[in-house]
Amino acid sequence: MSLHTAQHADTAAVESATTTTRDWLIMAAAAILAVVALYAVFMDNGTVVAATGDYLHEFAHDGRHLFGAPCH
Amino acid sequence: MSTPVLPLLGRGLAAGGAAGLAAGLFSLLLAEPVMDRAIRLEEARSAEEHAHGAAATAVQHHEELFSRSTQHFGLVVTAVVAGLALGVLFALAYALVHRRTGLAERPWPRALTFGAAAFVAVSLLPGLRYPANPPGVGDSGTVADRQALWLAAVVIGVLGMVLAWQVYVRLAGRPLPVRQVAVALTGVATLAVLFALPGNPDEVPVAATLLWDFRVLSLASHAVLWAVFAGVFGALGLRAAGRTAPAAAPVAA
Repeated sequence: MSLHTAQHADTAAVESATTTTRDWLIMAAAAILAVVALYAVFMDNGTVVAATGDYLHEFAHDGRHLFGAPCH
Repeated sequence: MSTPVLPLLGRGLAAGGAAGLAAGLFSLLLAEPVMDRAIRLEEARSAEEHAHGAAATAVQHHEELFSRSTQHFGLVVTAVVAGLALGVLFALAYALVHRRTGLAERPWPRALTFGAAAFVAVSLLPGLRYPANPPGVGDSGTVADRQALWLAAVVIGVLGMVLAWQVYVRLAGRPLPVRQVAVALTGVATLAVLFALPGNPDEVPVAATLLWDFRVLSLASHAVLWAVFAGVFGALGLRAAGRTAPAAAPVAA
């Protein structure tokens, strides 16, 4: 019984130790990617991301209007 | 009792993809006919202006880079990309807010509450201040200003929601009516700040019924997105909790 409890506490401790820094870094990287994706879809006018021209904007045109993002 | 953060990210992506697809198909079926109608009316309007020899500055809406059917498909793709991205941000915010109380606790009610809060902060409040406009509305000369205002409205919506939550948490010792009135006042203050922003500068030369239909469908698409998102996110959380609970039971026994 006490052995089991100790093991349980151990795994919990290891788990909390391994799920902090690395996972938060991954989450932060994912958040940055998410913001870039939202920018590309809802904000790009072909002037800032020059390489895409107006293609990105025109492809996402209906989605921008529908979700209320400003459009030309 | 710590639970890994990364499964939350996976749940956010899965729920976001499903929600984006649901909102995309919903709007493909219901909102696209309205948008197509708006574009036909816009073309008729600009043809008429040309016929009357009006200034050639009439809004030339489309460079016709894509056909309408490609743009229909683009709507669904846009919704899925937006769903995935919002799902990631949702998972991160969920982890931040619930980091002290255990990320695996009460997954279903928390997902619904959080989803409703996200809808109000990100969709409803900015949508009330700057309602969506159908194709044919929108001057390319003012787009940068409108984007700044729209972003400001989204940020104010999120900050208002965080503030309301903090007010509710920090008044924990007070009677419930006090806390709820304080939250309501925070909501009123947020709306006041939103409406202190300058209005949308563009003219809206669209029939009122078309505009109303489009705006209701726009808000409905937002609602579909967040409702499906919260449901899937909560259900995946329940499933994950169910998977760990039976495994933990023999250890505890």
